[in-house]
Amino acid sequence: MSMLTLHEVGRDFGGLPAVDSLSMAAEAGKITGLIGPNGAGKTTVVNMIAGLLKLSRGRVELDGQDVSTMEAQHLSHMGVSRTFQNIRLIKEASVLENVLAGFHRHETTSTLSSLLGLPSAFRERRALLRRSMDLLERFDMADLADWPAASLSYGHQRRIEMMRALATEPRLLLLDEPVAGMNDAEAYSLAEIFRDVAAQGVAILLIEHNMRFVRRLCDHVCVLASGRLISQGAAETVVNDPRVIEAYLGS
Amino acid sequence: MSFFAGYGPLAELALLNMVLAFSQYIVLRAGVFSLGSAAFAAVGAYAAAILATRYGVPPALCMVIALVAGGFFGAIVAVPLARLRGVFQALATLALVQIVLSLALNWTSLTDGALGINSIPKAVHITEAAIAVVVVAYFLHVIGMSGIGRGFDIIREDETVAVSLGYDVRKHHMIAFVLSGAIAGLGGAMHAFSSYSITPNEFGFHMVVMLLAMVVLGGRVSIFGPIVGALILTGLPELLRGFQDYRSIMQGALLMLSITFLPRGIVDTVLGRLRHRSLSRGASAKDRDGVTI
Ligand SMILES: Nc1ncnc2c1ncn2[C@@H]1O[C@H](COP(=O)(O)OP(=O)(O)O)[C@@H](O)[C@H]1O
Ligand SMILES: [Mg+2]
Repeated sequence: MSMLTLHEVGRDFGGLPAVDSLSMAAEAGKITGLIGPNGAGKTTVVNMIAGLLKLSRGRVELDGQDVSTMEAQHLSHMGVSRTFQNIRLIKEASVLENVLAGFHRHETTSTLSSLLGLPSAFRERRALLRRSMDLLERFDMADLADWPAASLSYGHQRRIEMMRALATEPRLLLLDEPVAGMNDAEAYSLAEIFRDVAAQGVAILLIEHNMRFVRRLCDHVCVLASGRLISQGAAETVVNDPRVIEAYLGS
Repeated sequence: MSFFAGYGPLAELALLNMVLAFSQYIVLRAGVFSLGSAAFAAVGAYAAAILATRYGVPPALCMVIALVAGGFFGAIVAVPLARLRGVFQALATLALVQIVLSLALNWTSLTDGALGINSIPKAVHITEAAIAVVVVAYFLHVIGMSGIGRGFDIIREDETVAVSLGYDVRKHHMIAFVLSGAIAGLGGAMHAFSSYSITPNEFGFHMVVMLLAMVVLGGRVSIFGPIVGALILTGLPELLRGFQDYRSIMQGALLMLSITFLPRGIVDTVLGRLRHRSLSRGASAKDRDGVTI
């Protein structure tokens, strides 16, 4: 069974469908690409899966369970995590604090212990700080731990988004153009990390414009144009599909 | 010593204002636009004053009861108001201040109306006020470091991100309301035990603006923000004693200037600059050692 399944999903804005009759799946341990021209509806799909937008039609299933009407907060606890195309960080807070916020799902200290500052609250903070530092090291950002997020380059800010998303230890990771604005070297160093994450059994849905990047990384690619799925399959097959070429050239 | 003798009452007032400013601080930190601290302070002050003058309850116990009553009131208010946002939350809590104010004015059998409550024993001096500031600041610091504080920060900055990370916005807003109510309840009671008498009008629009100004001027993130804000806005009127007529104008102008030029408030701006400078220095030291970041 697929980790994520979309059945005939649709979403209208002002009576016009931004996404329509979309059926697709993302498997655990695999990187599924979702590509398409600007305005094709990719971010809308991610927002629906993450519970930030209500579906107009259709059904979303997570590991076989219908989660179509579930709120974002609840979905996060079910193991759905995402990054934002338009980077959304706590600007003034440090890199470390931003990543720390991602561990919320794994906090076990009770509200009362936190309010009273009991030792368990401090112990948990120290433990989570250590795990955050591990993530920073993995993303080669340990030196920047104390810098305010907003003072760093886009490339670094995108990495913070990814660390925060990984901190939740998701089952399904939705990456909305995670390497936009990065050069090839930066992008490929992240590609290694995505592969590692997928190898641990996470289902990754990767939205990306850079076709070379998608071809290198994705096991399976879905192509969206004007809200509809126009092609899917192995990356090599899809890029040679005349409908896909037309959609890209036409935009 | 004569310096302290002269400025003692002013310092006491500044400390008590800090406690009330903490109440305003904690809601703003959580992204709740509550202006209800004045109402919570009134509840605490009246509860303490009535218990002490009519029933002879010892002041320390009165203050504990006021703290609990303020927190309880905050919890009740939070049920309908935690679902509101931004300007609607501000308006609804302002309405709450008005309701409490008119109750204090018109429920004369309980509150003695506009005359207020007099002959409250003087149980709070500069020492008690200072202890309260330290204790409340300590707890706010601890909460700020905890998962709850992280929730407050991320909810304030971006609610969409917060829910995407699994934060329960409603729960955090409720906690902020309860804390704000409890702190203001304590602050109100301490004010009553410091000033011999209380009247309804002290807890009106003027207090709403003053507390808001203290936190905006001082800063909303560091707990030193409300401390500095309360210090300045309590001390300023004294410095301007010769210009009685212009006091409100000066205060208003200061607030406008600080919002325009220091939108993050004095403390958060200064701390931000200091942090940036020490980070830059550390980075350039590393560059000299041949390590690049
Ligand atoms: N919140 C919204 N309100 C109205 N229209 C929207 C909204 N979000 C997206 N759209 C529209 O839906 C279409 C798809 O947008 P989007 O999902 O952002 O595309 P992509 O991510 O593929 O570039 C666009 O035409 C966009 O204008
Ligand atoms: Mg998009």
